[in-house]
Amino acid sequence: MTSDAWYDEQRRLTPDRVQSAVFPLTRWGRHGYEEEPVRAFLAEVQAEMVRLINERASLWQEVQRLRRRVLGKENGNDAILFGKDDAHVHAVRILSSAQRTADRYVADAQAYSGRLTEEARARRDEIMGQAQHHADLMLEEARTRAREAAVAVIDDARVAPQTDQERRAVQAELAYLRTFSEVYRQHLKIYTEDVLRTIEDWESKERAAVRDTPGGA
Amino acid sequence: MDIARLKSSFARIAMHGDEVPLHFYADLFLKHPETRPLFPVSMQAQRAHLVEALVTIVSAVDDVHDLTAFLRDLGRGHRKFGALAEHYGAVGDSLLATFAYFCGEAWDAELEADWRGAYELIASVMTGAAREDEERHPAWWAATVIAQERLAYDVTQLTVRTEPRLEYLPGQSVAIETPARPRLWRYYSMANAPRPDATLDFHIRLIDGGAVSMALTAGTVVGAELRLGPPAGALTLDAGSGRDVLMVAGSTGLAPLKAMLEQLATLAKPPRAHLFFGSRTADGLYDLTVLEKLAAENSWLTVVPVVSSGGPGPGRTGPLPDVVSEYASWSGHDVYLAGPTGMVRDSAARLAADGVPVVQIHVEDFGWSEP
Repeated sequence: MTSDAWYDEQRRLTPDRVQSAVFPLTRWGRHGYEEEPVRAFLAEVQAEMVRLINERASLWQEVQRLRRRVLGKENGNDAILFGKDDAHVHAVRILSSAQRTADRYVADAQAYSGRLTEEARARRDEIMGQAQHHADLMLEEARTRAREAAVAVIDDARVAPQTDQERRAVQAELAYLRTFSEVYRQHLKIYTEDVLRTIEDWESKERAAVRDTPGGA
Repeated sequence: MDIARLKSSFARIAMHGDEVPLHFYADLFLKHPETRPLFPVSMQAQRAHLVEALVTIVSAVDDVHDLTAFLRDLGRGHRKFGALAEHYGAVGDSLLATFAYFCGEAWDAELEADWRGAYELIASVMTGAAREDEERHPAWWAATVIAQERLAYDVTQLTVRTEPRLEYLPGQSVAIETPARPRLWRYYSMANAPRPDATLDFHIRLIDGGAVSMALTAGTVVGAELRLGPPAGALTLDAGSGRDVLMVAGSTGLAPLKAMLEQLATLAKPPRAHLFFGSRTADGLYDLTVLEKLAAENSWLTVVPVVSSGGPGPGRTGPLPDVVSEYASWSGHDVYLAGPTGMVRDSAARLAADGVPVVQIHVEDFGWSEP
């Protein structure tokens, strides 16, 4: 390639220019493309250009190789199928493609692990949300029941008018707290047992799953 | 040396995209199989790093000062990967063979001589910096995990002891490699100011699909041996400024700021300091009790927890940049920001718009976004 042709080549549209293209934004109230789809399309065009450039390069290499082979035949030497350099380039290609395969396996494994933790995170948020909701309900119910109990104590006190007002108030408070604590504790116990049962259930399922996996221990 | 020609030939080579580094590494590993174990199993990120470094070098080639600083960092940074002076020749040969391959007919003796000259210069700056560094530091520090504590359901604190002692400034970070993921190094900030017993705390957040964070949180036990690279990062305290301090932490961005708070506490007369600690949800505000204790013991410190997305929580609710901006005027403060990319970018922009001079804003971008 002459030096002029070389510089002409530099002025052609390159994947790099496609990738870094910036377009002025439209002013408010005027029609324009949405930026994201345009960028996505440019990324596609850029990837395709890189592919085409690489295909062209490897075809060019192939032409060179065949040209050498034909020239070799004309010179009465048909043994030149691959030169020393060709063999190396082939080895590089094989290793490159093996590396790409390895990269894909690692990327797939990482994407899979990412999905698992993402799901676990979502599941955890859900369980925590439910637990919070449940706790709120329990608290509300315990409060209602305790309020009822306190009212009952005050009513009882009315039947026995010899106690003074202060004492009645303290009794009511005590009754409220006692009932609140009892109801809440009872609910909490049931709920905790329920949660523990669920966790045990998960664990046994997980153990079973590991046992069923070939090679799992 | 015809620099314009080097640049235009590089532009031509770069058109082949990922094929270029792919070819380079295959060529290197075929000619020098002993270099393969210096790299991770997946080479995808590695190839991007190589292209990035080459692009930086070629575009900075006219600015000798910047280029030299970049190359010296690169040379020092490569020590922990096990790069030795004798590897540089092998890399140069494969790089030239790769360039020749992708240049095709445009490759001639003159261009080859120019590239070889350029590479030898690059290699001599890198190996020179590495050699100087060798006299001061080991290539990496051996670190033993001595404690492990779960701070939140997806944040684990690892405490390690290094041999020899690792000298650093609060706010800095080191690259960590775990034997479970060989040759993958990830940066984590020290969460404490230097201690007499040479122990270091790290806050490891489990990142979905993150190979290293997963191994460090789920697969690391007390007694495990890690490797730490040299301390890096410019998020350090401007102790002589005389200005008060604003710190904004998102998620595990808390780590470097906590180390800096410990440093402030050792000063004879600490400046007034506000720490805004933000998370998406209330249970992401790990370590809050420790922070509140610190604030109770030190009258110069105010800690403001911030939950960004709805739901009841301690402290304030709303987007972190808004809460910080509406709390007070910060234009006379030194600002230190650390955390997820979006949070750091938005907070820095907001504070600059509010009139904080850009030179007073120091940032550490953790490079991931919060789920």
